[in-house]
Amino acid sequence: MAAKDFLDEIRADPELGGIYEEARAALESAADSEALEGVRVAYLGRKGRLSVLLQGIKRLEPEEKRRVGRLGNLLKGWLEKALADKGGLLRIGEMEEALRREEVDITLPGRAFPAGTRHLLSSIIEEIEDIFIGMGYRLVEGPEVELDYYNFEALNTPAWHPSKSLSDTFYVDVPGSGSDDVLLRTQTSPVQVRVMEATPPPLYVIAPGKAYRRDVPDATHSPMFHQVEGLAVDEGITLGDLKGTLEHFTRRMFGEERDVRFRPHFFPFTEPSAEVDVSCNICGGSGCRVCKGTGWLEILGAGMVDPNVFGYVGYDPEEVSGFAFGMGVERIALLKYGVPDIRYFFDNDLRLLRQY
Amino acid sequence: MRVSLEWLAEYVDLPASAHDLAEMLNGSGTAVEAVEEIGEGFEAFVVGRVLEVKAHPSADRLSLCRVDLGGEVADIVCGAPNVRPGMLSPVAPPGSRLPDGTRISEATIRGVASRGMLLSEKELGISEEADGIMVLEEGAKAGARLSDVLAARDTVLDLEITPNRPDCLSMLGIAREVAALTGQKVKSPEFALREEGAPAADAVRVDIEDGDLCSRYAARVIEEVGIHASPWWMRRRLQAAGVRPISNVVDVTNYVMLETGQPLHAFDLDLVKDGHIIVRRAANGEAMTTLDGVERRLARDDLLICDPSGPVALAGVMGGEHTEVSASTTRILLESAHFDPANIMRTARLQELPSEASYRFERGVDPGGCVRAADRAAFLMQELAGGTVRPGAVDARARIIEPVSLVLRVRRTAAIIGADIGGEEMASYLRSIELEAEMVKEDGGEDTIRVTVPTFRPDLEREIDLVEEVARLYGYGRIAPTLPRSSHNIGSLTPQQGKRREVARILAGMGLHEAICHAFISPRWLEILDPDRQCLPSAPVILRNPISEEMSVMRPLLLPGLLEAVRYNLNRQVAGLLFFEMGRTFVPRAREKLPEEAQKLGCALAARWLPKQWHRDAEDVDFFAAKGILERLMSSLRVTSWDLRREGFPFLHPAQSCAVSIRDRDVGFLGLVHPRVAAAADVPPNTAVLEIALDPLIAAALEPLPYEEIPRYPSIQMDLAVVVDGGVDAGEVEDVIWEAGGELLREVRLFDLYRGDQLGEGEKSLAFSLSFYALDRTLRDDEVRSVYEGIIAKLAGGLGARLR
Ligand SMILES: [Zn+2]
Repeated sequence: MAAKDFLDEIRADPELGGIYEEARAALESAADSEALEGVRVAYLGRKGRLSVLLQGIKRLEPEEKRRVGRLGNLLKGWLEKALADKGGLLRIGEMEEALRREEVDITLPGRAFPAGTRHLLSSIIEEIEDIFIGMGYRLVEGPEVELDYYNFEALNTPAWHPSKSLSDTFYVDVPGSGSDDVLLRTQTSPVQVRVMEATPPPLYVIAPGKAYRRDVPDATHSPMFHQVEGLAVDEGITLGDLKGTLEHFTRRMFGEERDVRFRPHFFPFTEPSAEVDVSCNICGGSGCRVCKGTGWLEILGAGMVDPNVFGYVGYDPEEVSGFAFGMGVERIALLKYGVPDIRYFFDNDLRLLRQY
Repeated sequence: MRVSLEWLAEYVDLPASAHDLAEMLNGSGTAVEAVEEIGEGFEAFVVGRVLEVKAHPSADRLSLCRVDLGGEVADIVCGAPNVRPGMLSPVAPPGSRLPDGTRISEATIRGVASRGMLLSEKELGISEEADGIMVLEEGAKAGARLSDVLAARDTVLDLEITPNRPDCLSMLGIAREVAALTGQKVKSPEFALREEGAPAADAVRVDIEDGDLCSRYAARVIEEVGIHASPWWMRRRLQAAGVRPISNVVDVTNYVMLETGQPLHAFDLDLVKDGHIIVRRAANGEAMTTLDGVERRLARDDLLICDPSGPVALAGVMGGEHTEVSASTTRILLESAHFDPANIMRTARLQELPSEASYRFERGVDPGGCVRAADRAAFLMQELAGGTVRPGAVDARARIIEPVSLVLRVRRTAAIIGADIGGEEMASYLRSIELEAEMVKEDGGEDTIRVTVPTFRPDLEREIDLVEEVARLYGYGRIAPTLPRSSHNIGSLTPQQGKRREVARILAGMGLHEAICHAFISPRWLEILDPDRQCLPSAPVILRNPISEEMSVMRPLLLPGLLEAVRYNLNRQVAGLLFFEMGRTFVPRAREKLPEEAQKLGCALAARWLPKQWHRDAEDVDFFAAKGILERLMSSLRVTSWDLRREGFPFLHPAQSCAVSIRDRDVGFLGLVHPRVAAAADVPPNTAVLEIALDPLIAAALEPLPYEEIPRYPSIQMDLAVVVDGGVDAGEVEDVIWEAGGELLREVRLFDLYRGDQLGEGEKSLAFSLSFYALDRTLRDDEVRSVYEGIIAKLAGGLGARLR
């Protein structure tokens, strides 16, 4: 029997019909779960109208008892379902309302997890290291307080060279020894000599680290600075290999679109030697203040390892050849990030450290 | 080296544009640092003849000039002291613009109208001469355009000459480079010297006593010279090269030095006793006064040019005052010599007297070019000073420096460069720079080139030097980029290097900022940190020649730099003073020249640890901030074998400091800085520091970690709050708990500390959360309970603890 049919039957009964109509109106007007519970109690509670009616049927005639019992139970079923449906609706609304009251000001700051930083120079050194590790290089280190032999002599620097003077190089006092050949390394290149002394070829290494020169600090000079040195020694290494290696590095470091230029130059411990320029990113090569109108920025010194250096470390220049290169980390940072003054790197000003 | 292109063009044809020339030179190893245009816009200036000079009515230093500008006479106010009636000078009329951009307009200067400006050489941008207005040579017409009268238009290249190329410190040397790059031959200056009178050798005698320091000394004698200013063309060229014109004779020596690279010196021959030159070492303590008026004390290794009465010049560096050419000089002894480069460098540095001459001598001049340079200068003195030149040069030679012969292997050269260059091509490059190169074909062997190097290239001594010449003349740009073909190279970080990066990342992840501090510190720090040298070395690593006292000691600790970083930011009101640094410290080693360099990790935390936030109060730094950093670092690195021990350090708070150990070895310290240090370093009293050696930390972090079985049965949690005497450390209580807890106890965590009214005087309460489990079964309450009771009994017995 369809629901409509039994509702028609119920409506036709004066008493059940009255309960039905009243219950329906009460359901409709129940605005919250509490009111709805009131409706349930009023009709289905122990003393509710429908419950009382159903309890009273046993006093009726059998046929009437059957009819009212059937319709009363149908009405009870209908009412229970209607209560449940309405209750569901009310609960959703009430939860939404409750959640609305939990609204937060999303513009308040989040709970602060302290955020630290790596130093820009450390980040750049790691970037350089990773590019060369990708090309098959290992990382090596050497002392910062160094002997003249490793810093100058074995790098083919003549004894009278001006860079060795007290005005250019820091010397270390070794009390009681009378020695004047202990210095702060002026470059990371002595690591080349130490590594070659200790290791037979082939060799593919880079040596990042601090170096020191007796420059009074200004915007472009610092008495302490960082370099990354590179060295490859093997059979058949060519100047073309140096070019390919440094072109790859330069484009990785500065951008694939940049041009790279090799100019002949002079260094005591390499021959042939080169300086490497990258095209100026500020003017795009047309010339500006940063590149001093040349369109190029110098970033690297490099060259083929001088046979004399191989002589010092016991490598045979007829058997192996190699190239070496060195770059200033601060200079790369100045060019890549536009930091205007090299001294800023060692002030440890948090306002700078937090930028990178 | 400043190179005037107007001048250079005398010896070699130049490319049409200065830019192309610069590119060419850059590509072959002569870096062009700047390109400067000179004499641009001179069409706008006119020649003026000063007719009348009157004092300015209201300004002492100014004069009021009437100047003939051809068609008109203008009143011009002038401040130059040298302005005289009758002189010809350049004038900038109103509306014109000076090379530095200044626009000239009609102006009223101290109440007097001025129609234009009389110009100095500096204002014209042709020299640094600013003391007076420029005097033009007679012959020019008033009103003429300056550009028609004064040949000033030029382009100057500022070249960086590397120390191995002394030959390029001359116009002819640069011309040789350009000729090689453009396939030309250099046009050497042609001149015809007219020699008259008795031979030079009759007037001059030269003795070289120390031939090791002077291989050659050539002298010429020029007489009847008249000393006056050089002509404009020579002055202009000298100025373009950055050399100040002085007088014709001195200018000629400088001009020929710039042209040939051979420094020359002119003596007043009448002031050289007996015309006798002696080249010898100085006696220790010997003195002489140089041209600059400075008396110089010399030593045995300084080389002197002397006459029989004493020094007349500091060889290769500077002439002497006594024999200087003056306005009254008529007889010249012209020196053209070759000195030992290293010796000249030494003297010039010791005397702090760098000169154009010493700069060239210390890099090496051509020992074969002395006489020709002397001839050239004699000729110019004849032309410009009206001198008569005695026949012959007195050419004293202590030894002869011969051209070097070398062999270049063709296949090896191509292999080093990595380009397929043939032997003939290599030889042609070498010939283009005036080397003799002869191909030698060997049957079955390697082709070689026999090369003779002229004496003007002292840098070419070995085969590899020639390889470089071939490479740069072939052009680096033409060499194809390749990568080493080796399969030997496997790139990676070592485990230690990887961990070191990890340490930095962990610390940055905790909110610390990485600092990089100077490795040299002030000795004052040692006094602040450890006045009695209890733990710092009594003799640290000290620089012999620091920039300043403030940067004279190599740091034995990272601490000073970190405290300076704290102070620097504090002074600038920057908050969040949490720093770490990874770097080396330096401590001398007995019987070793080189100090011990230890890799250290340092941290400094000061003032606020966390700022006040809307949901939470601020947290100030204390001992436990530094301890928390260390604990977290250790747990992130999975290092368990570490410990802290109460220990005093002279720079730490005596009651809030400890030694850090890893695997029972002391590796550093942790604590609050001592109030004395905080005050002296000007950092907050609550500054906590930590400094440990990195290598043992990393070694411990690399220890392999065994697998620990994951519990499959539920654990039982129990809290334990005990009251102990205030002097008992939490760690002691924890140790007893562990000891009594047996194998079922798996975790102990202190979560509360209480002192106060609810406890007795001097007591404290510690609350721990304990966790028990077994790997093989579910624990029964009663067995845990009995362990728990055991713990309580042990605490009561051992530490007098009672349950709270
Ligand atoms: Zn640019």
